[in-house]
Amino acid sequence: MTHVGDRVLRVDALEKVTGRAVFGSDMALPGMLHGAVLRSPHAHARILAIDTSRAERAPGVRTVTTGQDFPFTFGASIKDQPFLAIDRVRFVGEAVVAVAADTELQAQEALDLISVQYEEVPAVLDPWEALAQDAPLVHPDLHTYRRGGHEIVPHSNINTVARYVHGDVEGGFRQADLVFEDEFFAHALSHAAMETHAAVAQYRPADGGYTLWVSTDRPFQMRNELAAGLGLSSNQVRLIVGCVGGSFGGKNTLVAEAAAVALARRLAGRPVRVELSREEDLVASQVRMPVLIKLKTGVRRDGTLVARRAEFLWDGGAYASNAVGIAVRGPRAVFGPYRIPNVEYFSRMVYTNKEPTGSYRGYGTTQAAWACESQMDIIAHRLRIDPIVIRLRNAYEDGDPWLNGQIMHGVNARETLEVVGREIGWGRVERVPAPHLRRGKGVASMMKETATPTSSNVVIKVEQDGRVVVLCAAPEIGAGQATVLSQMAADAIGVPLGAVSIPATDTATTPFNGPVASSRTTYHVGSAIRMAGLEIRDKALALAGKVLGVEPELLDLDDGVIVERGVGPRTTLRELLTGFGAEGFSLLAEARYSSAGSPLLKADAGLEWASSIFWMIASQAVEIEVDIETGVIRVVKAAAAADVGRAVNPTGCEQQIEGGVVMGLSNALFEEFIMQSGRIENGSLADYKVATIQDLPEIVPCIVESDHPEAPFGAKGIGEPAAAATPPAIANALFDAIGVRIKDLPLTPAKVLAAIEAAKGQGVFEEMGLR
Amino acid sequence: MISVTLTVNRVHHEAAVEENITLLEFLREVLHLTGAKEGCGVGECGTCVVLVDGSPVNSCLVLMGDADGHEVETIEGLAGDDGLNALQAAFVAAGAIQCGYCTPAMVLAAEALLRANPQPSPSEIGEALGGVLCRCGAYSKVLDAVSTAAAKGVRP
Repeated sequence: MTHVGDRVLRVDALEKVTGRAVFGSDMALPGMLHGAVLRSPHAHARILAIDTSRAERAPGVRTVTTGQDFPFTFGASIKDQPFLAIDRVRFVGEAVVAVAADTELQAQEALDLISVQYEEVPAVLDPWEALAQDAPLVHPDLHTYRRGGHEIVPHSNINTVARYVHGDVEGGFRQADLVFEDEFFAHALSHAAMETHAAVAQYRPADGGYTLWVSTDRPFQMRNELAAGLGLSSNQVRLIVGCVGGSFGGKNTLVAEAAAVALARRLAGRPVRVELSREEDLVASQVRMPVLIKLKTGVRRDGTLVARRAEFLWDGGAYASNAVGIAVRGPRAVFGPYRIPNVEYFSRMVYTNKEPTGSYRGYGTTQAAWACESQMDIIAHRLRIDPIVIRLRNAYEDGDPWLNGQIMHGVNARETLEVVGREIGWGRVERVPAPHLRRGKGVASMMKETATPTSSNVVIKVEQDGRVVVLCAAPEIGAGQATVLSQMAADAIGVPLGAVSIPATDTATTPFNGPVASSRTTYHVGSAIRMAGLEIRDKALALAGKVLGVEPELLDLDDGVIVERGVGPRTTLRELLTGFGAEGFSLLAEARYSSAGSPLLKADAGLEWASSIFWMIASQAVEIEVDIETGVIRVVKAAAAADVGRAVNPTGCEQQIEGGVVMGLSNALFEEFIMQSGRIENGSLADYKVATIQDLPEIVPCIVESDHPEAPFGAKGIGEPAAAATPPAIANALFDAIGVRIKDLPLTPAKVLAAIEAAKGQGVFEEMGLR
Repeated sequence: MISVTLTVNRVHHEAAVEENITLLEFLREVLHLTGAKEGCGVGECGTCVVLVDGSPVNSCLVLMGDADGHEVETIEGLAGDDGLNALQAAFVAAGAIQCGYCTPAMVLAAEALLRANPQPSPSEIGEALGGVLCRCGAYSKVLDAVSTAAAKGVRP
């Protein structure tokens, strides 16, 4: 009896469909107070004075606190962000003063009684302007901040510089028959998880530490960030994580947590809750990092790629958050799933006086894939090669070396392209239902690494009643982690799925894990679960052998039943353990999986750091309908394939693939922040539109499998690849439909109409229109 | 303070509440029924949908004075002692649940639809659920779940 590979029902479905699931935003404790935050109205200003005296006397108010009272900073890669603004505000919406009161309304009303005197200073809102010699500096003290080992440019707005070179790009361009140069822009996006950022924090006067109940996808990283920010040892900060109402990379740093902790420090042990409003969540949390990408590619006439150079200018916003890694690693995805012998990228991230940026489902891949796949389409059309054919001609095959010489195993780009082509009816011209409508099809692929090396630790215990408890810090953010990890635990041990449970993450009791990010959970936590599970199984059989007087080698554990070979069922795991009665017996096992040191990471000398323990590939083909009178694009159908290694739960894979298409089309067509002098003007879901069920196209999810030699049960990852290919596939379908190319996201009706007008001037559109 | 009388999940309540509190706040903070969620607080995301006299409403927009005398159903009242109702079971079976934050609202909006229109077309399902946002993008399997429940004809 096994479960891996089966369409098992999600283990969290019952509590969610009945409304019993407790999310971070549902958390309530006795005596809990409610926080509210006063935010900066200016993009860049000095704080001259803050008067909180009237607010302190307001009904129900328990404390009011400012950055002067709580002068700490935090940051995952650059310690640049204050819990509450200190002396200076750097974006509209930055937290300046926090209030705790008996009720949320009292806290909010007290905000009106606070007066802050600002002196506005010049703001930098554009990444090119941020590069200028005389640009206002968002962080004049950047060079003094504690940070990791990455490169910065002191006394400038450039907080990250990264380069990668492999081969001889100039030589490659000389060998090329044609060289393409294009500029692309990928825009800021809100994660817009339906659950906004929320946290409950409690100060512990006894040891000067804090306990927090939070919604996060990286409990240990957030714990460490908090401890480092406050100068505490990491065990003085305890994080408890319930159900997370969506993350998409957004719930990785201190957002609601920062104000909650600053308030808790003054409340002598009373818990305080801070929940962001939707407007705060949109304008004052963090967003996908916008980027300008210059892409130069040399190709032979047969479509073979010979060289590519990319330059990235990332618009990082006011604080670096965890975006440094995006600027460093994200550009790798601009080379796509393609063999290119000569490559180079130069990537810079700048501070600007805007909402901070950070990880967003794909960690830079969605932006890089937008440029890569748009240009692949440009190249294909120019060379008159079918867009799928040109991709197949260049696509990695299993065993090919990546751009650092690492031999890639378990990659199946070919099948992802072939299957989406078949499913979309590639090459078939669809009937146009009305004269003002045009149909088109487009394809795009992507490839992404996973953060390497990282580790996962797991403890498994089997209770007296035979139930299996898996302790691992892998919060269920909605992507189905709890289900696939339970399936793997059940199979490694040999128990029914229903016997396995994964309690909520609590950093005080759960062993360390890397983040639930980079699509790494199934592979890394799964590997540790498999190791610990097999140990539990061995221990159970040894124990059974002793009790039954049988050689353990003759015993097997299947579906919770201990079977003697040639004899049949002898006892159950439950009977075995309850047999110890009041004396008691818990089976225990621990395991650690780390990708560090894996022979799979071997690469060219000095480049092993760029290897990935597995590679994820996805392709999508979409059919769109565009209204040439209104410029509105509708996605009619999407065929979306992901190479997942082995599907632990095919339904779960489909959920990710289908959800990825919906998010991708929403990102590409509807979502855009409207900025005015650094202020986001559309801070509501009425004005920042995300896709509804009425925007749903027909989606054909296609699971492609491949052989990875080290993957637990063969499984790689899927969360991030699912959303990256949709925007370029839509843009490529737009070109197919009406012959216009849009290189800056989003693909709004106004841009489509403007592109049609521009194309008319060049006679292109008439030609296409006659088709 | 105002005094209101209403039934929630067939239980009669008489309460004295602040005039400006919403039905959503009453459900979550007074009755501790946290299945209805506050995704925006201004009627734009639909995660707070409950049924009032059988119709789906954004409970964040209903002041308690306006709930007086009405019958409210929340997700907590949908499952009987014998388990999930047909629609809930269909959501579970179809894999229509991801992070689960919008799930109670999706189920209730679909419940109201099927009571009024037992055999809805896909576009009717889309219209009925169009006001509930799901950022996980579970829409495809939500549509499957509602269609399957309707096809089975099992009235909740």
